[in-house]
Amino acid sequence: MSEKKQQVSRRQFLNYTLTGVGGFMAAGMLAPMLRMAVDPVLKTSSHGDLANVSLSVDDITDEPQRVDWKIDQVDGWYESEVTKTAWVYKDENDEILAFSPICKHLGCFVSWEGSEDFPDEFYCPCHGGRYYKDGTNVPGTPPLAPLDQFEQKVEDGMLFLGEAKEQGEA
Amino acid sequence: MKWKKSDLNQYKQAKEYIDTILIPLVPFHLSNDNTMEKSAFQSEVLSVFTNEIENELSGRIMLTPNYSYLKSADQEMEVERLNTWVYDLQKQPFNHVFFVTFDAAWKKNEQAMQGTLVWLPGLHSGDLHNKEMHALIRDQVEQIGELIRSYW
Repeated sequence: MSEKKQQVSRRQFLNYTLTGVGGFMAAGMLAPMLRMAVDPVLKTSSHGDLANVSLSVDDITDEPQRVDWKIDQVDGWYESEVTKTAWVYKDENDEILAFSPICKHLGCFVSWEGSEDFPDEFYCPCHGGRYYKDGTNVPGTPPLAPLDQFEQKVEDGMLFLGEAKEQGEA
Repeated sequence: MKWKKSDLNQYKQAKEYIDTILIPLVPFHLSNDNTMEKSAFQSEVLSVFTNEIENELSGRIMLTPNYSYLKSADQEMEVERLNTWVYDLQKQPFNHVFFVTFDAAWKKNEQAMQGTLVWLPGLHSGDLHNKEMHALIRDQVEQIGELIRSYW
């Protein structure tokens, strides 16, 4: 066995090392490229922003109910916990609707049936703005657009809400 | 609306809708070891409070910066100084001025104040971040909101 010690010739040795180092360098260059190519696949879906609002879907009725939840928000200098609120109910097709309570007029807080004079409507206490149950603004009252609607999904029977999105002009 | 550039920009365009001013009155002192914690706590609670009220009724309320004063200062003089704030505000179309405070001392000089004093019986201690405190504040905010709305 000892005579076979020098199986690897100088030429072979150089070949091996060069291939090894070369391969290593090529891999170093290719890896980031490959990572970039598959990047979209690895990205977490945008649904990641949706927050669990601790409300079971079974508890949602056809009567709008107030839901509060907290999210972490980075706002320029401040990182803070912000409380968000939504009015959530099921419409006649059993679809869940979640409306932002922020009045489209000047940003007050609207309440479902907030005024006894206007049952079955969202009511803004500041300037008497009103919205129908589907979020559409009542013509002739100050707001000029329907209430914003939250992005939503249902997972494991729990409701998740995301950003409030504007609806088209009414 | 708050004392912020973006809010004031909106305010200028919608002046006729915003007719109510909210001024938090916050006493300050560092001279008494025994009460300074309590005072600071009340000032924290008050700012949570006023921010919540502003949040609910932002389309009709302007929240000013805190009116700060020395706890030991002469109250009558403070009323006078506070009224200069009100005179300045009245250059804009504000119809309702509310002062919110935990400091009962203002109660005695209420008549001389150019606005409505809302004195809240103080919370002395507690944890601002626990659930019960939140519920308590929620509750009170709702009631103050109702009070303010009754003036509209």
